[in-house]
Amino acid sequence: MTARNRRLLRRGAPALGVLLLALVPLTGDIYYQNMLIMTFVLAVLASGWNTMAGYTGYVSLGHSAFIGIGAYTAGVASAHWGVSPFLVAPLGGVAAALVALLLSVVTRRTRGPAFVIVTFALLELLGLTVRNWTSVTGGSKGLLMPLPTWGVDIQDWPFYYTLLGLLVLAVALAAGIARTKLGIGLVAIRDDEDKAAGIGISTPAYKSLAFMASAVLVGVAGAVYGYYVSFLDPGAMFDIVLSVEAVLAALMGGRGTVWGPVLGAFILEPLSEVTNSHLGGSDAGALRLVFFGGLLLAVTLLLPRGILPQAAEWLRRRRTRGATSPVGRRLADAELPATPVMRPRAQTEDTALLRLTGVSRRFGGLVAVDDCGFEVTRGSITALIGPNGSGKTTVFNLVDGTYPVTAGRIDFDGRRIDQLGPTRRTFAGIGRTYQLPRLFPSLTVLQNVAAACGEFRPGNLLRSAVSGAEAARATELLEFVGLGDYLTARATDLSYGQRKLVELAQVLMLEPQLILLDEPCAGINPTLIRRMAALIQALNRAGQTFLIVEHDMNFVLSLSDPVVVLSRGTVIAHGAPDDISADEQVREAYLGADFALDAATAGGTA
Amino acid sequence: MTLLLQTLIFGCLIGGVYALMSSGFTLIFGVMDVINLAQGCLLITGAYLSWWMWQRTGLDPLLLGVLSSAALYGIGWLLYKGVVARVQRVDPGLTLVATFAVAVAGEGVIALVFGTSDRSATPSYFNTSFHLGSLSVPKAQLYACIGALVVLGGLYALLRGTFLGRAIRACASSRGGAELVGIDVERAMAQMFALGAATTGFGGAALSVLYQFLPDSQDIWIGRVLCVVVLGGLGSLPGALAGAVVLGLGEALTSTYWDVRWTTAVPYMLILAILLLRPQGLFGITLRREGARA
Repeated sequence: MTARNRRLLRRGAPALGVLLLALVPLTGDIYYQNMLIMTFVLAVLASGWNTMAGYTGYVSLGHSAFIGIGAYTAGVASAHWGVSPFLVAPLGGVAAALVALLLSVVTRRTRGPAFVIVTFALLELLGLTVRNWTSVTGGSKGLLMPLPTWGVDIQDWPFYYTLLGLLVLAVALAAGIARTKLGIGLVAIRDDEDKAAGIGISTPAYKSLAFMASAVLVGVAGAVYGYYVSFLDPGAMFDIVLSVEAVLAALMGGRGTVWGPVLGAFILEPLSEVTNSHLGGSDAGALRLVFFGGLLLAVTLLLPRGILPQAAEWLRRRRTRGATSPVGRRLADAELPATPVMRPRAQTEDTALLRLTGVSRRFGGLVAVDDCGFEVTRGSITALIGPNGSGKTTVFNLVDGTYPVTAGRIDFDGRRIDQLGPTRRTFAGIGRTYQLPRLFPSLTVLQNVAAACGEFRPGNLLRSAVSGAEAARATELLEFVGLGDYLTARATDLSYGQRKLVELAQVLMLEPQLILLDEPCAGINPTLIRRMAALIQALNRAGQTFLIVEHDMNFVLSLSDPVVVLSRGTVIAHGAPDDISADEQVREAYLGADFALDAATAGGTA
Repeated sequence: MTLLLQTLIFGCLIGGVYALMSSGFTLIFGVMDVINLAQGCLLITGAYLSWWMWQRTGLDPLLLGVLSSAALYGIGWLLYKGVVARVQRVDPGLTLVATFAVAVAGEGVIALVFGTSDRSATPSYFNTSFHLGSLSVPKAQLYACIGALVVLGGLYALLRGTFLGRAIRACASSRGGAELVGIDVERAMAQMFALGAATTGFGGAALSVLYQFLPDSQDIWIGRVLCVVVLGGLGSLPGALAGAVVLGLGEALTSTYWDVRWTTAVPYMLILAILLLRPQGLFGITLRREGARA
């Protein structure tokens, strides 16, 4: 299949599907009409669930609560004002989004399990509230919706077409989010939330937006659904089984994909109709539980990735059979491309870009950093060396905000930063790489770089990450580090050294004032070390400031000035490389008495 | 004053029982990082087993909890081997979905086996009390609380004093490290999970005497369990005891001084409040976070 045909299929198939679905009611068959109405509701719900659980990795087990919120909001509003529930259905969406916002505030300081617990609590609590708040909701007796105002001859068309429209919107929303910086930021959060916070992804804001996006259309659909069933009762509107079905649909079709939840709903709902018509009698409810629970269990055990990702994997394997991967191709020792231009920042008078004063960090009884103080001068390449366990990486973690300081202060660019969170420090102009590169495994190389945000601008979140200015900038930076051929490769398919270069490009995307490099040369080959040194020097000539932790002494001493030596968490020496390598105390603590700078391998580019 | 004291007594007695019911959940999370949403379903299973044996034999339902525990140990072991261990190998993020699926299907199976009408065990001391002046201490609550504390104490001693306990704690702090020093991690995990399930045997027995229950009561009970462990800090056994007492008191005070209909909402409101104000739980301590990798 050519690329053009594929594109045609990608655009044409959904349009054809919508057209066919739009024709179904004209047949007048009420059975299929009703089945499809239920399918649309489930698909909207599953698609919403997927935005939070699939993209962002936060599983919700109470997502059907938003159906109930939408239904009751519209039901109560329509009774109060005496208008059609269709008219107030958007209010259901607004209410759902507001509740989602509220919940994300509640969970903003928590990770993982707290979220699933909160969503479950929400579902149960709302069910109880609706049951007990009889004066407004009618309690367990329920709330009767107004009768449809249209004639019987057009059957349930208004419900059908509204819900079909909502489904189209839901898919468009999911597809749109996936293309934006917001969308890849969400996937980054799923892969490694701490790292995401370190490259300027404001995780609480991203998660709130994702949760609201995952709720809003479900709320509107709930309002229409409530009108359709004509009677709201707490048991059916805040039903955990509906949540189970949504999770099941999304998992079966493929979590984190745009079409997976929809496909899942279109498989599950007819299946559920068929089993319903065959399960009768007093045990029907119990058998339904066994059926859905068992099916969910079977999917998690046997098809955990879902149908679409599994099929895509199979197709990809067929298509790339025999093709060689770009990994392992020799990195050319070529000329560097032009150094990317960084956005100028307003500078303060202070010559020290970073200053640590009396900084300490204790872990229980262990003093990892003890009254440590040094400066990084603007425009310098400052090295931080010292024996293993001397506290170098801890200093990095204190500077970038991974840990809070126990005592002392850190100033950056003329302002105190030790009280700021990691993302705020990134926005202030600090970028950092890790000893073991931490890239997002689900994203491509290009997306890994494009995910980074140097500042928080709400408008920026909606910009495309796969085309336009953001992608162009990321491409430029990747070409600069020499990985222009690898844009669409998965980050995990790259070699260790290449991943270090991607991480450097990722940090450059932030346009930071100061770059912290944690052992840029550890575990990579000499060619790559020379390239790394050349990149650092080129950037430095353009004005970039660096603070480097490195054990390769030749690399460090040939590249940097000044050098700060750390031992047992304290600065024991500080000065030009020649003075440091001659310093008795440093030789004793770290370098060894027989240390001599080997000029032949010293960085190679000096 | 008497009313307040009476309420506090009720709250503390029921708190002891809640603590036992939640201990299995918190242990499983603490050691394996698994949110076992089937715990509520296991608890109801324990209640049905004790109730059923009590009906058959007429023996004391609380003592029959020992037999239910043995049965649930077996169920827990199967659940670990058949579901949890498998899903963990494929995608650890899905374990909570899988245990949730087990809970849903389990509720259906219970309903098929035992029907869907209200049950409760009513031994001779049911609805009778000891009297201390104007205060009354219901016998069933007292026996259940004492039994729960004995089982909890035994569990604590097991974790602190035996080889299995040390192995489990080693796995909790580092799975890889435990493997390196020669612990059969897979086996320790299976035993741990089974043990966590077995605690619901006695917990279920207490439930069968103190409450009416249905298959879908598992929703309420998993809610209470979640509340207790969130209050106490996920993974902490002493925290679970404290959280359980807070929940017991909260429910007792709500039904006495506000409205009994809102009692079932107390666990959920506490969950939201604690996550907003103190997400690490009442007694949770923030350790060096795993996220801060080198």
